[in-house]
This record gives sequence, structure tokens and C-alpha cells, in this order.
Amino acid sequence: MSKRSRNAWIQLAVLALLGGAVILTLVLPQLSDHRTPDPPLELSVIIRESDSSLWGNARLGMEQAAAELRAETRFLVLSADNDGQEQEDLLRREYEGGAGALVVVPAEPEKLAQDLRELTGKCPVVALESALEGVEDTVFPDNRALGQALARALLEDWTGGAVLLLDTAPGSFGVRDRLEGAREVLEEAGVPVQRRAARAGGLPVVLDGLAREAGTDWIMAFEPAATQGAAAAKESRGLEQPLYGVGVTTDVAAWLERGTVTAVAVWSDYAAGYLAVESAVKAARGEKNKSEPLPFSVVRGEEIYDPDNEKLLFPVAS
Amino acid sequence: MTGSAYPESGGAEAQKGGTEVRIFFKGFVGKVADRYRKMSIQMVISLSFTAVAVVGMVFMGMSMYLRFSTTTHSMAEDNSQRVLAQVNANLESYLHRMMRVSDTMYYRVIKHTDLAEGGFQEGMDLLYEENRDSLVSIAVFDRSGGLVSAVPLSNMKSSAVPSASGWFQSAMAKMENLHFSTPHIQNLFEDPDYRYRWVVSLSRYVQLTRDGVTESGVLLVDMSFAGIEQVCQGVELTNGGYLYLMDSDGELIYHPRQQLIYAGLLEENNLAAAGYRDGTRRETFQGQARQITVKTVGYTGWKLVGVVPAQQMGADTWQTLLFGLALLLFSVFLMAFLNFRISAHITDPILRLEQAVKELEAGTENVEIEEGGCYEVQRLGHSIRSMVSTMHHLMDDIIQQESQKRRSELEVLQSQINPHFLYNTLDSVIWMTEAGRYEEAIQMVTSLARLFRISLSRGKRIIPLADELEHARHYMTIQQIRFKNKFTSQISAGPGTEGLYTLKLIVQPILENAIYHGMASAEEDGFITVAARRDGEDLVIEVADNGMGMRPEVAASLLDEDRPDVRTTGSGIGVRNVHRRIQLTFGKQYGLMIFSEPDEGTTVQIRLPALDREGLAAYEREVME
Repeated sequence: MSKRSRNAWIQLAVLALLGGAVILTLVLPQLSDHRTPDPPLELSVIIRESDSSLWGNARLGMEQAAAELRAETRFLVLSADNDGQEQEDLLRREYEGGAGALVVVPAEPEKLAQDLRELTGKCPVVALESALEGVEDTVFPDNRALGQALARALLEDWTGGAVLLLDTAPGSFGVRDRLEGAREVLEEAGVPVQRRAARAGGLPVVLDGLAREAGTDWIMAFEPAATQGAAAAKESRGLEQPLYGVGVTTDVAAWLERGTVTAVAVWSDYAAGYLAVESAVKAARGEKNKSEPLPFSVVRGEEIYDPDNEKLLFPVAS
Repeated sequence: MTGSAYPESGGAEAQKGGTEVRIFFKGFVGKVADRYRKMSIQMVISLSFTAVAVVGMVFMGMSMYLRFSTTTHSMAEDNSQRVLAQVNANLESYLHRMMRVSDTMYYRVIKHTDLAEGGFQEGMDLLYEENRDSLVSIAVFDRSGGLVSAVPLSNMKSSAVPSASGWFQSAMAKMENLHFSTPHIQNLFEDPDYRYRWVVSLSRYVQLTRDGVTESGVLLVDMSFAGIEQVCQGVELTNGGYLYLMDSDGELIYHPRQQLIYAGLLEENNLAAAGYRDGTRRETFQGQARQITVKTVGYTGWKLVGVVPAQQMGADTWQTLLFGLALLLFSVFLMAFLNFRISAHITDPILRLEQAVKELEAGTENVEIEEGGCYEVQRLGHSIRSMVSTMHHLMDDIIQQESQKRRSELEVLQSQINPHFLYNTLDSVIWMTEAGRYEEAIQMVTSLARLFRISLSRGKRIIPLADELEHARHYMTIQQIRFKNKFTSQISAGPGTEGLYTLKLIVQPILENAIYHGMASAEEDGFITVAARRDGEDLVIEVADNGMGMRPEVAASLLDEDRPDVRTTGSGIGVRNVHRRIQLTFGKQYGLMIFSEPDEGTTVQIRLPALDREGLAAYEREVME
């Protein structure tokens, strides 16, 4: 075969190759159209309470994020508030059940962290409310600063008397930090404080007794369930002590408006839920994501209809 | 000093840089031109055609892409405008329904009711029940903000201050208008279920009648925000686009990701969009190019804004690019391949012609010259073939002429050493010596020697005219002695002939002919003249005798090439030989002319080019080439 004819054959081969490439790129979009889309990511959200209504707004944000990021969320509650063991069991069950990512509001972060070590690297976990060792991301406001801000709001109204600090979730780092932050500010200001442990669910019954026993004129709660419980106790028992709480539900908003609750420290639960799911989904898909601490504010009853507070307290769910 | 030195230095560096660039550019252009000059015609054709084709294809591709892109944008724009028009129609329908509720409440209920005689609760209830899917509440307030009547809830919150609300103040400020608020939480009435609902308030100034006296009031229709949300929700524009609704100040009313914006997790360019007029435009927001379509909702001044991300206008852009690239590469290679083939078809016959010409140059005989390929190349091959054929014929002619020339020269030389001439001359010398005529014998031998020396002339064909005449003189000397002075001769050279050259041995054959033909039979007083003169650019040598002459037709036949050669003394062969030699050497315009009359004599005129030394050198160079 002469050099010339060999070159001609090579040229023809290249031509055929390029022709093949043209046909391939022509049918490529059709091939990709026929490809089965990846199944949505299964994501489980495990809170530390037994009442899911406390996380209603957060849930709206979670659903919005899940819809945008092609994920399906399962919202799981405990049979009893702050039951660390049950939460651990649920966490393991969900992981073994094939959950692609987990969002957890840790009941007992210290204990849960040990269990999480086994999951690290296998299933991304994002923590809400409290810091948790070994998780991909944490979504919560600066809890200590939040407690301090709430205490300062109380100090603005304080006319004397001791303050009852309700320790309703001793295992939760987030709740503990808020309480500690408030205690620091109050003690610095020379305000006597009384710390009492109680279950949030039991507050409607025991708060009256606790307040009387401690001799306090002011009450502070540091989680939504406790705020709701304390407000309910005030309504039912006719307690006079001003109540300062954390977090907002529809009930708390109503009590805030009526004056049962004097002020609440709030952040956008909707944003927290959205960010937590977004972070978990991204982590499951191998993307790095670190959330900034959520902004918070302290809202008094007379301020709830300020446009900014309306948007914060009453989410518009599309 | 230092301050002024920096700019100069910078300028010099810039100039140096510019010079280097120019040198590089010139060098590059030079290299390309050099490469081009060395390129084969096939490569030039292939590259040129391919380059032109590629430029054409790229131009066409770009044009089509731009056209496609424009059409896509136009379609997206049309789609956005259509969708927005539809949503606008739905929204206006919804708002008109609410306005009709307000109108009905005012014109059918309030205006027909005197508050002193009874309230309008019943009418309000009916109206509310009829539109409860869209309404949150209907309420009428007096001019100080006091509640006159409301459905479905009628207990005002203690904290509610209607007169301080925006909707109330707007209604009181512009009495003739209906006023739509932005979404807000309904905060007027005690809800036993503690529901906080987002509403859009429609308020208007009304005149209430109490005891026959009219007084100012405000009618408030709180529309459920969900109604507006339903109209706008689920609307999708091209390529993942969306729409949102805002008031004329840019305050969001509806956005598919409204709460994310409220939570600060997302931003929208609504404040800038508030300044846009109706129509479509492009904007860049947070680094993303977007197509924005704005449509103002009637009466309210609200604006529907459609957002189509420009970057997503081809989600499969990379696939299109890949396809375009593959197509371009394929087309370019196909073009190059075809051009190479076509140019080879054109140039291969040319290359074969070139090869044939090279072989001809190398002296190869019987080279086959192809007449193939395109028409022009066929013509070229044909021309080359004709040219080669002509060349062969010319070469044959030249060879023949040279051969004739050599033969003529040889004949001349042979005539010079004619044994009869030599024998007769030597015989004459012998008898002259025996007769004691030593002087004449010496003269004859001297002339003979001189005759032969000039005949040889060291092999030169062209000799000075003087030598030629000298040669003739010696010949005549010999012949005069031999013929015992039966004739006399005179040889002369006219002015202007000095330094001229002539073909050698052209006079002697004429003289020989004159002697043997004209003088041999004459009695006495034979006279032969040889006269050389210059006639313009020619040299003319005339040999004339007063012999017996001849008839003109005989004289003419002496130069006839077809006349058979009969070798006798003075047969005229020598004359014809001279004529042939002159014409072979200098051309047909030169040669002999014979003028003769019986009993009068004969004149032979030899015409040659007047060659001086330079002319001779030029002639010899020409002959050499």
C-alpha cells in the first residue's frame, strides 16, 4: 500500500470517527432524556419533643427545601419529651432504614454524640438547636447571646424580686446555654435568680408551686415547649409573674398579644428548617455547607404586628 | 530629575516593546509568506478552499446560532408575556370580584341602610357567605375608627386601632378610590382559635346614614391572601422561570419563595423592578442574567414580574455546544478531505507534466506528455506537446543547417587545396624557375603560402575584410602569372569598411568563376575588379569582370539550389556554395546577386551584414547561445 493511499485510509477513518461523534452528540440529549431520574433523597427529621406543632414553622421551611432539592422528609417525634435513648434508637432505625440524611434536634447531645460516631461518614447528620459533635452542620442561633438578650429585656421591666429560671431540658446544650446566658446577665445586674428543673409538659401543673416555692416574681423559660407550658400555667392558674420565653408558636403569639407572655426571643424557625434540610441534602450529595448562626430578636407583645415581626412570627407558606 | 526620568524610561520601554512586537509580526508574516511561496499548488488550493469554507461555515453557524438564540429569547419573551397576561387576567378577575363585593356592600347594603333603624348585619352575612372562600372579613368603621359592623367576627381586639392603620388612612385621604394594601396579618378581631391570617385589605371611603344624616366611614374587605396566592401559585415560565407580584413601591405581595426572602435567605430585585415599565427587558442580578417581563395589574398599580433566568435558556447548552463542535470538526475535516482530493485531481496532471518536462530537460527521448486532467490542464499538456514537437523539428533543422554549413566549409577548404590548382601553380613555379624568372616564381610561391595561411586563419569562419581582400589579391596574383597577364585586376575597399569582418573565402570562388568563365577565352585586356563598400548596415563586395558575360537566366540559374552539382572548373558550384554559406550564416536577406549581360561582363554582388568587432562578438555570443 502506497503512502498516499494509506493516508487516504487514515483520513477516511478520522472522517468516519468525526461523523460518529456528530451522530452521538445528536442523539445524546434524547438518551439523557430517557435516563431515569435519581430517586429523591430520603431525609428523616427527629425532634426531641413529642409535640410536632412546636416545630410547625420549621417544618414549613423543611418542606420548601425538600421540594426544591428533590428530597422527601419524614418528621419523627418522640413518645416522651427529651428521651435521649428513644431518640438514639430512632436515629439508628432511620439510618438502617435507608435514610440518606438526618436532621436531629438532640435531646441529650453528649450521649448522642457517641452513637453518632458510628454513623460518621456513612450518613450525614445536621443538628438543630444544639451543637453536636460529629455532625456535618449545625443550625441554631447563638444560644448564649439569645439568653442574654432575653435577660436584658427582663431587666428593662424589672422592678425588683427574684427571677425563676426554668431548666426544662437539662440535657440540651442549646437550652442550657440560653439559661446560662440569662443567668449571667441577671446576676451581673444583681438580680436574684432561682433555677428550677422541671419537665416542660408538666409546667401547667407545677409552675405555680415552683414559683411560690422559689419566691420569685419573674419567670423565664428557654425553649418553646416550656414557654408554652408556662404561659398555659399562667392562664389557668392566674399567675401574676411576667413571663419571658423563647420561640414562638401560634399559641405563644396569642399569649404574647394578650400579655400572658411579656417577651419572647425568636428566630426564623422557617429559615432554620430550610437551612437544616438544605445542609443535610448538600452533605448527602457531597457538597460542603456550613451555616452561619441564625439571627434572632426579642419581640414584645405590642410589637408583633410590626411588618418585620409579622414576617418572622407568621410564615407565609407558599 | 528623577520624576521626569521615569516616564521617559517607561516610554522607551514601551517603544522597545512596540518595536519587538513589530519585528515579531514582520518575522511571522515573512515566515508565512516564505512558507506560502514554497507550498505546492495542491496545498495552496486545499488550504485556501478549506480556510474559505471554514470561515463560511463559522460565519453561517454564528448567524444561525444568533438567529436561533434570538428566536429562543423571543419565544421565551412571548411565553412570559402570554403567561403574565393570563395571570393578570385571573388576578384582575379576582380583584374585580373583591371590588364587586365592596361595591355591593356599599351600594346595595350601606347606602340603603339607616343605622338608627337597624344594622346591615344581615346583608353583610349574606355577602360574606357568598364569598367566604376568598374573604376573611367584612367590616365597616365610622370616621373615628369605631366598629360599626363586621362579619364573621365582631369582637375587636382591645389593642386594635383601625384609625391608625394604613388602609383606614388611605381610604379617608382619597375618598373616591378603592385602596388595596400589601399583605399583612389580620389583627382586628378576637379569634377564639388564635388564628393569624395573612390578608390583603381592600378599603374605601363610605357614607353611613344615621338618623337620616350621612357621616363618613370606611368599608374594609379583607381578602384572604391565599386567594391571590392561588392565582399566582404554580405558574411556571420557560426554563425554570417564575413570577412574583409586588405593589408599585416594590413591596412584595406574592413570591414563590416569599418566606425565604422574608427570612433573609434569598434576595429578589423587586425594588429595582418597581421602576421598570411594562414590557420585557434584561437585567443582571447577583451575577445572573435574567429576562424580566413586567405587567401592571389594572387599578391596583401592582406589578406582575416574570423572571426567566437567561443562563438556563439552554439547559442542554453543553450538549448543543458539543454537537456544534463535533459538526464543525466533521465539516472542516470533510472539507479538507474533499478539497485535498479535488486539488489532487487538478494538480496531479500538472505534476506529471512537470515531471515530463524535467525528463525532457534531462535529455530523455520519447517522453510521454500526458494530455489529461481538467480542460485547462489538457490544453496546457497539448501546448507543451506541440512545443516539444516544434522544438524537435527546430533542432532537426538546426542540426541539418549545421551539417550543411560544415559541408560547405569543407567544400571551400577542399577547393582551396584543389590538386589541379596546386599542381598548376607549382608547375608554373617550376617553369618560371627554369626560365630564370626567379622574381615571379618567388612572388607566386609567396602568394600561394599567403593564400593558404589566410584560408586556414586558425580555424576561424569570420575574418577581417582586409584579410579576405588580401586573400583575393594573392589568388589573383597567382592566376595572373599563370594566365600570363591576360587580365588585370583591381581590389579596393571603400571608406567605412575599415575594421569590418566577413565570412572567409567568399571572394575567391567568385574570382575563380570570373577567371575561368569570363577571362579564359578572352584575348587581351581582361579586367576584374573587387570593390568593397559599406551600404548602410550592410557590407557589399562587388566582383566585376568585363568578360564574355552570360544570359540573365543562366546567371540566375547559378544560384539555383536545385541545379545539379557538376564539378568542373568554373562550373559555378563555388558561387552557389558561397551564396549558401552566407545565407546559412547570416540569413536569407544576405547572399549573392549576379548581374550579367552577354559580351558585356558579369558583376557578382556579395551582401553581408557590416560586422565590426563588437558586432562580431555579439554575433558569436548569439551563436554560442
